[in-house]
Amino acid sequence: MDKRESMWDVYLRKGISRRSFLKGCAALTAMMGLSTDMLSEVVEAAEAKPLPVVIWLHGHECTGCDESFLRSASPLASDVVLNNIDLEYSHVLSAGSGEPFEAHLEETIQKYAGQYILAVEGAVSTKDNGIYCMTGGKPFVQTLQRVAKGAAAVIAYGTCATSGGIQAANPNPTGSSGISHFIGDKPLVNVPGCPPIPEVMTGVIMHVALFGKLPPLDGDGRPKQFYGNRIHDTCYRRPFFDAGLFAESYDDKGSKAGWCLYKLGCRGPETYNSCGNMRWYQGMSYPIQSGAPCIGCSNAHFWDEAPFSKRLPEYGPLGDIDKIGAGLAVATGVGVVAHGALSTIQKKKRQEAEQAEHDEKQVKK
Amino acid sequence: MKHVVVDPVTRIEGHLRVEVQVDEASGKVQDAISSGTAWRGLELVMNDRDPRDAWAYIQRICGVCTTAHALASLRAVEDALGITIPKNAHYIRSIMAASQTIQDHVIHFYHLHALDWVSPLEALKADPIATAHLQSVVLQNYKLPFTGPAKIDTEAYPKEFPQAAPEYFDTFKKKIQAIVESGQLGIFAAQWWDHPDYQLLPPEVHLLAVTHYLEMLDKQREIVIPHVILGGKNPHPHYMVGGMPCSISLDDGNAPLNTARLNIVDRAINTTRSLVNNFYLPDVLAIGALYVQKGYVDGGGLSKERVLGFGDYPDEPFSGASDGSYFKNQLIRCNGVVENFGKGVAQAVYTELKSEDITSPEVLTEGVEHAWYEYPGHKSDESLHPWDGITSAKFAGPKEGTETDWKALNEQGKYSWLKTPKWRGKLCEVGPLARYIIIYTKAKKGVLGEPTWAEKMILDQIDAVSKVLKLQPEVWMPTMVGRTAVRALEAQVNSEMSRYFFDKLIANIKSGDTKVANTDKWDPKTWPKEAKGVGLYEAPRGALSHWIVIKNGKTANYQAIVPTTWNACPRDDKAGHGAYEQAMMDTKVKIPDKPLEIVKVVRSFDPCMACATHLYNAKGEKIKVVTTDPYTGTHVEE
Repeated sequence: MDKRESMWDVYLRKGISRRSFLKGCAALTAMMGLSTDMLSEVVEAAEAKPLPVVIWLHGHECTGCDESFLRSASPLASDVVLNNIDLEYSHVLSAGSGEPFEAHLEETIQKYAGQYILAVEGAVSTKDNGIYCMTGGKPFVQTLQRVAKGAAAVIAYGTCATSGGIQAANPNPTGSSGISHFIGDKPLVNVPGCPPIPEVMTGVIMHVALFGKLPPLDGDGRPKQFYGNRIHDTCYRRPFFDAGLFAESYDDKGSKAGWCLYKLGCRGPETYNSCGNMRWYQGMSYPIQSGAPCIGCSNAHFWDEAPFSKRLPEYGPLGDIDKIGAGLAVATGVGVVAHGALSTIQKKKRQEAEQAEHDEKQVKK
Repeated sequence: MKHVVVDPVTRIEGHLRVEVQVDEASGKVQDAISSGTAWRGLELVMNDRDPRDAWAYIQRICGVCTTAHALASLRAVEDALGITIPKNAHYIRSIMAASQTIQDHVIHFYHLHALDWVSPLEALKADPIATAHLQSVVLQNYKLPFTGPAKIDTEAYPKEFPQAAPEYFDTFKKKIQAIVESGQLGIFAAQWWDHPDYQLLPPEVHLLAVTHYLEMLDKQREIVIPHVILGGKNPHPHYMVGGMPCSISLDDGNAPLNTARLNIVDRAINTTRSLVNNFYLPDVLAIGALYVQKGYVDGGGLSKERVLGFGDYPDEPFSGASDGSYFKNQLIRCNGVVENFGKGVAQAVYTELKSEDITSPEVLTEGVEHAWYEYPGHKSDESLHPWDGITSAKFAGPKEGTETDWKALNEQGKYSWLKTPKWRGKLCEVGPLARYIIIYTKAKKGVLGEPTWAEKMILDQIDAVSKVLKLQPEVWMPTMVGRTAVRALEAQVNSEMSRYFFDKLIANIKSGDTKVANTDKWDPKTWPKEAKGVGLYEAPRGALSHWIVIKNGKTANYQAIVPTTWNACPRDDKAGHGAYEQAMMDTKVKIPDKPLEIVKVVRSFDPCMACATHLYNAKGEKIKVVTTDPYTGTHVEE
């Protein structure tokens, strides 16, 4: 297991033509939301860089993020795990188990010290020395810290890993939190969502595989190409919001016509994710398209921003909109105005965050 | 005697540790420990939440059997509030339940279980020409011809069909060869590939199965396309209390559900049927038959003694489980317990499970004798109905090692985050095998009555497989192979179930009914001050039950007894061992240092530990609080 291969090496070894290789690169360029003039850079990256070794750890989680990863259509799951990364440790897909598997983890950490990508799914349970999340007879928090030490970069997959997720919701019985405090100063990519969109999950790792560096990140450590837009701004129902056409209750005329779900509690206006543009299953749908208001699952503490049926300003920074004097008849109008104000506040916050953003972090090679 | 630990058990959901005491001379497992090594406390998180949001929270118990907990939760809340959902919503949820079960079963066999049976290294010894021939033989001998009553058939011919060309298998063989030669084994690393059990099957079976492993890795995603259309995404699709959010309109291009969108669901149902009938089921039966022929009929354990089911797929909308309407019109009436099936149908005893049993404080209970909890104010061996459940965590260190570095857990004391669920004080196995044993026993004992189409299909399948194996059902079913084979049979029934409910959905829309949501009780002002509800659901891994108490519009108590808790629970000093432990003790281990047989029999249950290890309601218990203020970050308050 000494030789590390580039994607091009793999294509050569598997007897795949240069033409298919370039085609694969073109597909990847499009998939990662890059413009076509980036193609030469993609090709160069695929030719030169060795396959990244990936170690995937599981904390307090539901395995929904693995399942989402496997739903990816471009690239397909088989292509990711057999041709584009070297997935050496995963509780879900790896053949091995028990003692030899744990020994393999230690070997991998040593052999690829400073080179491997650590993908983490799930929250870190901290209460009582971490005994509420044990694996291999040891607390997960210890394993995470040990493996993170030798990582080139860390990817936090899903809202549990980025900010604690459901087990960290009030009253947080196991003292769970996101992983950022437990990985030292390693470069971190936050990929929130419950779960994240399949092609976002594979897209992040393909970016690292091809370019040898982390994708450009925003102030919260999220890849800009996937979390740069609010769902509200990319939603195909946005024109109905602008026109004041709303579903007032489930299954009413507006619901059937596909009007805006803002008044049913939709969190699209405060949620940064690719549901509106990429959608799920390559454009097939997303909750709003299927008639369900967004619950904001890529927001840090969305589980405590409930009930989900309450519409935004009621719990948001503007206070309860229904209590701001106006009668019911004008409540919608106030809501829309308030929404506009909220957008401005969010935009300002985001600009501030971006100012504070660090320079693009390079993966140490 | 050798003490063997496997931790982590991989290719499952969540965190599981098993320990066995193996007699090295005979290979017999004298004692076995199954330990859930994590809990997340989700039921505590449910307290004071809006019951209309409960499905979203509790669905996050598990992303592998995603939707299972959402469906059980919706049923519990709707039971409590007295909501009957519209016909369309019932049909849509049934399609989602069936497609979930199939996807879960397919991914279990190929991606979580198959590498216990077949090896990429053995596949390299295969002759591609012989493998192509084998594929034809498998399709000829192991396809089961059964179908449901669905009338609409939109598919001209099956689009998913295994290739049987030598060139095709040669491609896969070369691919595997390249991976092995590169030394970068990736996901195939660190397995006991030299274990003699990998010699049981001819190399061609290995190549065929590994090829289908890779094919299904990319295909399984299509099985849950109905979730993406009907619930907006998968994993974790969206629902609503009172029905479905996916409104139907044949007048609107923007409608969540119109003809074009229904056609996508239809296409996925057809794809699924082909994947099950042409890949999954024949592959499992071919491999299973070879194992059985070589005398591998062990690993049955508790399934020979006692299995439990709740029944499922009510044909039409129902008002709830508390009032019994859930049980009245089921297409699969496995609501009951069968004891002593291993001794033959004549000696087996069937006991029906009725709605009054579900809510009785005596019938379904949980103990904590060997779980890391205590019941303050109760005796250590006392069991409590989930309604009265207490959670007071009481972690105790291992027998050997420290609290944060375990060498051996203490089987005499507490050793798992799972409680021990009981039916009338006894332990039961649940799952597809349990469902099939119950339907078969009821039919043979003459208490089933006229079988529904789904039950007839189940009985026909059992009959057909018994003929192929030349063994009685009571011999081949309660085994490790039987548990895995029945799961594939059940996938076939579920693929017809999707078709069946899709037909009903189309017919109902055709009749002019497009309603998907009952919003009469959406407003909490319409709710009683206090209400209790039960939601039952036959999840992919077995009988699942959710309980909710609603007070003043909020969740006052939330409980769930989950299939993997039934199966993976720690022992009970009176009732004995749970299903995992018994199955391990019913399995011989050839090489104690390479306990392939142990992980194989445990994986035959399709373990789902995150489901099993969550916490029950702790009333007034002081806990450490982590502040999750978005502006100040995360802090642990000591």
